[in-house]
Amino acid sequence: MPLMGKKKFNVINQAKKRVDAADKVTGRAKYAGDVVFQDMLIAGCLHGHRAHAKVAKIDTSKAKALDGVHAVLTAADILKPQSWADYYYITDHVKYIGDVVAIVAAETKEILEDALKAIEVEYEDMPGVFTVDEALQADAPQIREKGVGLVDGIPTKGTKGNIFFESYYALRKGNIAEGFAQCDVVIEKEYRTQFVEHAYIEPEAVIAISDPFDGLMTVHASSQNPYFTRRYVADALGITMNKARIVQRTLGGSFGGKEELVGLIAGRAAILAKATGRPVRLVVSREESMIESPKRHPFKFNYKIGATKAGQILALEGILVDNSGAYNNQTQFLNCRAMIHSAGPYNIPNIKTDTYGVFTNNVHSGAFRGYSSPQVIFAGEQLIEELAEALNMDIVELKRKNILRYGDLTATSQRLSQETIFADMMEDVIAKTDYQAKFAANAVQTGEIRKGVGLVTCYRGAGLGAETADAGGSLVTALEDGSFIINSGITENGQGLKTAYTQIAAEAMGIKFEDINLMGIDTHSVADSGMTVASRGTVMAAQSMKKAGASMKKLLLETARMLLSATSLEEVDMIDSVAFVIGQPERSISVAAINNCRLWTGKQLSVYEWNEPKELLMNHHTGQGNAFPTYAYGVCVAEVEVDTATGYVDVKKVTSAHDLGTVINPDTVKGQIYGGIAMGMGFATTEEIEVSQGKVGNHNFDSYIFPTSMDMPEMDAILYECEDPEGTYGAKSVGEPATEAVGAAIALAIANATGKRIKRLPADLERVLLGKSLRAGGDA
Amino acid sequence: MFRFTYERPTTIADACAILAASSGKAKVIAGGTDLIIGLRDEDKKVAHVEKVVDITHIAALKYIKTDGEVIRVGALVTHDEIFNSPILKSSVPFFTEATNTVGSPQIRHRGTIGGSICNASPAADPVPPLIALDAEVTLISAKGKRIMKLADIYDRPYKPTIGTDELLTEVSFKVPAGAKTAFVKLGRRKALAIARMNVAVLAVKKAGIVEDIRIVPGSVLPKTMRVEAAEALLIGKQATQETIAQAARKVAEVMLEMSGVRWSTPYKEPVIEALTRRALAQALEVE
Repeated sequence: MPLMGKKKFNVINQAKKRVDAADKVTGRAKYAGDVVFQDMLIAGCLHGHRAHAKVAKIDTSKAKALDGVHAVLTAADILKPQSWADYYYITDHVKYIGDVVAIVAAETKEILEDALKAIEVEYEDMPGVFTVDEALQADAPQIREKGVGLVDGIPTKGTKGNIFFESYYALRKGNIAEGFAQCDVVIEKEYRTQFVEHAYIEPEAVIAISDPFDGLMTVHASSQNPYFTRRYVADALGITMNKARIVQRTLGGSFGGKEELVGLIAGRAAILAKATGRPVRLVVSREESMIESPKRHPFKFNYKIGATKAGQILALEGILVDNSGAYNNQTQFLNCRAMIHSAGPYNIPNIKTDTYGVFTNNVHSGAFRGYSSPQVIFAGEQLIEELAEALNMDIVELKRKNILRYGDLTATSQRLSQETIFADMMEDVIAKTDYQAKFAANAVQTGEIRKGVGLVTCYRGAGLGAETADAGGSLVTALEDGSFIINSGITENGQGLKTAYTQIAAEAMGIKFEDINLMGIDTHSVADSGMTVASRGTVMAAQSMKKAGASMKKLLLETARMLLSATSLEEVDMIDSVAFVIGQPERSISVAAINNCRLWTGKQLSVYEWNEPKELLMNHHTGQGNAFPTYAYGVCVAEVEVDTATGYVDVKKVTSAHDLGTVINPDTVKGQIYGGIAMGMGFATTEEIEVSQGKVGNHNFDSYIFPTSMDMPEMDAILYECEDPEGTYGAKSVGEPATEAVGAAIALAIANATGKRIKRLPADLERVLLGKSLRAGGDA
Repeated sequence: MFRFTYERPTTIADACAILAASSGKAKVIAGGTDLIIGLRDEDKKVAHVEKVVDITHIAALKYIKTDGEVIRVGALVTHDEIFNSPILKSSVPFFTEATNTVGSPQIRHRGTIGGSICNASPAADPVPPLIALDAEVTLISAKGKRIMKLADIYDRPYKPTIGTDELLTEVSFKVPAGAKTAFVKLGRRKALAIARMNVAVLAVKKAGIVEDIRIVPGSVLPKTMRVEAAEALLIGKQATQETIAQAARKVAEVMLEMSGVRWSTPYKEPVIEALTRRALAQALEVE
């Protein structure tokens, strides 16, 4: 098998130490909440804490009268209550518990608390809609004007309802009726997933300062996507974007989450900074973050799948509905990915799926590591195993017959034209984990503690694909002492991007890793390269860094050639910051001398390169076409012990195998995989934002239960490489692949252990023992 | 967060004087692992608190000692210190194990046994072993001292019958000769888990016959207590899988009788039976 280790590079493909490791472990790193300015005010928000209500009356006079209160603002007081991205800075019509009805800036935290309590609000409660099923009922109250209804099962403009029209994606491949007609076995199944919290350790924080020196409104923010945050600040203040500057501070976790709420609080802090003329800090408490930050979309899946007796899958039909919450600016992108992957990594000729989101009076759903894939893979892999059971066929046999291979057509009819090591990976992992013997032995256990094993095969389109333009730009600057500054619009979110980009730039230039510094994002320093999402930073956006590095190297070698008096027949190269004549290493010169010469001879010292994505054409009505430049394949085996007397699931071991194309840094890849296992395990076993009539039952980490270090299983990360030219140096995505298969594998392992299938996550104590939750929430 | 004033006495007498002068509006703080959370959440249970009396500088409350047959543990001893006490580890292993399942290392280094008893959470892990030991607590106030059975200070959850002017200074117990113990806890995860349910069992067996048995489930009854109806099914009997199963079943029945049918009953009924069965099997050494 093509395990990592056969490729040859100078800087990438090696376990370079993370550039930010020392700052983080010593506490030297400064997060947004650590930033302090003189005369700074403390700001906070008054949340509605109602699922659906109009503000009948709001009286801020008592709050304003308090000593030390500098501003109390309601929706009526600000320029533009609704942000460019659907959510409100401040509203007078509360549509979920996290909606904000007033904002305050005060001298101290204590005065702020007093002021928030002194605001008097009268509400008129309105009927709400909470679950996917309720939202789709014909007589459901319409909670958003832009909602539409179904006509013959299809979201249709001009009708009334709660469907988020822009989030509708259809997939039509082959002829579904003919496909099912040829099947010997057809099954229909329903699966559901829950709202999940990102649970980053650092809650959202911003500090806004208007500095007359530069005339800018600068916001230091715990932002995953500073260029998106900039849109909120310019939008909230009604200023041009060149007057709004965002500095991304060290981020204490994000996973897709530090987007909407960070944008909103950046806007609110900027409004208050402008209103008071003082710097304003707004740090969200954990409880506030839990109700106003985005969540993983809960999905309801209704699938029908059919195969011949011999195990050839001929048809799949599905309706995938996700709960978007009260506002949304993500489902319309997320569902594109959900649709593309809605039939799993199998070669199925006839497919019909419909994917759409619904508005409800709940916390809003957003981007969360995987961007629909953990949910879709959970449902799809259960479905395929239930099909194997209905066929009375070994699951591995069924997978062997149907798994996507080189040259096959995907669900979107994209031909897999790059090296496809998927089936080989599956066989290798099955052998390494002894999956088949364990699976068979587990079926005949007795006793209270039962072992289970689950196998997931999945694939993921790398980067943004046809969802949106996957472009990026990078800047490389040479300094006279031989050091370099690099930057791009892509952010360090804890995933190791600074380290990866430094390695890629070093590789491309022939410069030492240690000679390069990547500062981080100030939106006034470099252009927007799109969001740091979709596991695209290294794979797609970094192509511009490779290009910029190569262009810089060309310039450096021109000067080296001159300084080394190389003839036109001699070749020069650069390795480890030393240029030399190939074949005559004694004729060499340091990059410091080269850069110094370029400075004093007036030569170009900086290079900026842009990478435009290759064109991908997809038909929006059929979901057919080329969805992604390439795909990353994953195989995951989870092993559990289930206590059948208590329902407790003890995850013992997770083997997580990934097709990395080219590994840029094996240590950071393993870090991603281990963290992804923890996150996938929480999704599968304990994590759920418990919603009931729009209220959230768990507001902090005492009641929102995610795995601790004590819960972590034995973990085996297997890194495969292959030849696929699409990504930077052949690299493929890993940030999201690291977590997307784990929950599904654990759910399958539970079914293997108990003989009972988990139809709805999480598989907590009650669901495993009784088959249902006893908590108040019910289905989202 | 509720706001409060703060005092830090260094003697028991000073602490009692402060409490006596506070007309019920003061609350004692030791590790603060429960109280601070309540104050921050503006929990109704602590809405009356205007003053916090920090007792962590009263050196006289920090000891683990033997006094003849009696083991005495000062109120300020932390969960971590209990877990690492050789005396307690050898004589009452179910108590040390229980304290080692509390929260996380940080919480076990701050949280105290006195605080855990006074917080009176039905899910407190150290309490069922202490009740199984028929432990006593010493309560001191400006008016004097009283010694109570630990089980008798519990009536309703989070509301121990301790006067607002009283300071809990000590918990003490005797260990029956030949006692074997077990503590079984079910949480939603392996650390930082509040007990979904727990059970403490203390047993003395001679020649296969159960001489003494104490069964104390946590988080299932209106107050943490011994389930004597279940104990009666084992006393004087052979400890077998059958008798253990009967006693375990009885614990579930008593839960139904005392707590009625609640949202959690379909889960708790079979599970407390299973947990009790496991704890009994371990303490009575029945395979």
